[in-house]
Amino acid sequence: MSTLFLVDFNVLKPDLGLIFWTLVIFLLLYAILAKLAWGPIQRALSKRDSEIQSSLDKAAEARAEMQAQSDENQRLLIETREERTRIITEAERQSKEMIAAARDEARAAAQKVAADAKRDIDNMRKAAMVDLKKEVGTMAIEIAEKILQKDLKSDANQEAFVKALVSDLN
Amino acid sequence: MTLRARFLFLCVFCLSIGLAGQEPQDHGTTGDYGGEGDMTEVHMSCDGHAAEYDPAGVILHHIADANEFHLFGDFTIPLPVILYAPDHGFTVGFSNMFHHGQEAVDGYVMNHGRINRISGAPDELLEGHHHVECIRHEVFTSEEGKTADIYSARIDGEEYLLDAPSVGDGGLLGGGITSFYDFSITKNVFTMLLSAFLLILLWGAVAAKYKKNEGRAPSGIQSLMEPFFVFLRDEISIPMIGEKHYERFQPFIMTIFFFVLFCNLFGLIPIFPGSSNVTGNIGVTMALAVISAVVAYVHGNAHFWKHTLWMPGVPTAVKPLLTVVEVLGLVIKPFSLMVRLFANITAGHIIILSLISLIFIFGQNGESLVGAGAGAVVSIAFTMFMNCIELLVAFVQAFIFAILSASYIGAAVEDAHHHDELGHHGEEKVAEGGAMGGAVTGMHTPAN
Repeated sequence: MSTLFLVDFNVLKPDLGLIFWTLVIFLLLYAILAKLAWGPIQRALSKRDSEIQSSLDKAAEARAEMQAQSDENQRLLIETREERTRIITEAERQSKEMIAAARDEARAAAQKVAADAKRDIDNMRKAAMVDLKKEVGTMAIEIAEKILQKDLKSDANQEAFVKALVSDLN
Repeated sequence: MTLRARFLFLCVFCLSIGLAGQEPQDHGTTGDYGGEGDMTEVHMSCDGHAAEYDPAGVILHHIADANEFHLFGDFTIPLPVILYAPDHGFTVGFSNMFHHGQEAVDGYVMNHGRINRISGAPDELLEGHHHVECIRHEVFTSEEGKTADIYSARIDGEEYLLDAPSVGDGGLLGGGITSFYDFSITKNVFTMLLSAFLLILLWGAVAAKYKKNEGRAPSGIQSLMEPFFVFLRDEISIPMIGEKHYERFQPFIMTIFFFVLFCNLFGLIPIFPGSSNVTGNIGVTMALAVISAVVAYVHGNAHFWKHTLWMPGVPTAVKPLLTVVEVLGLVIKPFSLMVRLFANITAGHIIILSLISLIFIFGQNGESLVGAGAGAVVSIAFTMFMNCIELLVAFVQAFIFAILSASYIGAAVEDAHHHDELGHHGEEKVAEGGAMGGAVTGMHTPAN
């Protein structure tokens, strides 16, 4: 192998022109890509990252809010139920009270009416007795008068007369 | 595939190897030059192509950078050429002006896809167009057994030595500063530009989708690419750099990951838009590693520099020692980044090219058709397997490059108060990445 010498190993010798062009091309490429691509991509990616993060945060927040809302609803529901029970109980109690009061009143009124009636009846009975007594007296007087006026001729007449009077009385 | 067909393949395979072994081996032994201290001519293009197949040369040629896209035969796609010589100034044009090495322009010559410059030539040769008769390749072996490739061009009957472009190895690897600099749009540069362009198109489309789909679910290409962004953010940036600082560095991590990934993937495509070994070239990985290191160290806070330069909480006598270690670490960290990526990609390509070379070795350079067929069966199966591995490596190495860059940045910007916790976390992650890289490197280490 005739030409295998390190000295001829061309790629091991750093060519000055190649170094120059590598530096120029790489630095230009870096400048162009940094401005054209890396910057915008980096910004877009970090913006997207922060957007995704904030969306996730927001979703979590919304979920927590919904949870809180549903808890609140549950609490309100329970409270409402309690309230309803309370109101119904109260209403029942009140109605019972009212019924009882009304019954008492009615009883009292009825008793009063009965008492009044009784008293009236008594009064009327008394008045009637007085009238009766007065009537009986008058009738007795009238009968006596008639008896006196009629000549009590016979005993039979007398007796028939009394009987007539008595039947008149009845 | 039925069992019988498999058995048949096995028979053909065994038989062909046997036949290949019995072929008369008449090609002689060239390259017997070791330790003689003289020049050995290996290849003279004036006299046509060399007869013998030289896998090492082919492989090294294919993983190397080039100034043109070679498709087949003499057909190439030209690329822009920008050359600078301190004594001559700029030369600009297209690589087809060199006519595949047959034309010298302003003293520049195309030598096997790479532009070289003739040295020691009279001034009139350094201007205008001249016909090149041939390019000679010789191997020089010094008395100590060191070898060097020497190329020379023959113009008007005279031979002139060729200079390779300047490289930044400080002369350690036989390169160093030469008479000119090559700032051309080479294959590698072209592929990098293409990768950058595609990345801009791709991520531009994704970003446009983000604008359009604002406030809606992602769709289309946006859904396809968003996981990458989010994965790199959640698996690299945030754990390595920390929640507090990662946003500043996420663009950098994204860019480096995708640039390395695209260059890796283009390196796997064997034809035109790909075919260049971008991240398997140490110049590229060096530049990327240096950028990573600079980004990390520029953002280093007081806490980081205090721990690097004057470690608190250890005896004063030990402090200078730790300072030396830590300062060396500042260099070693990017160096390891550079070598890891380079070695993984290059090793993978060398293995694939070696497997492809098997076809030509078994076929004895076109002499044994049966051998070539057998080589093709074996090498296609192995190459397919290696391509799968390389596909994995393309992603893994891009990931490792990004995660290590992020860990260096993380170490530089981390705050004092939760030092221990984050520090250990980071180290664990890095160790994990290193192990992955190591495993892949181990698998890839070529036998040469």
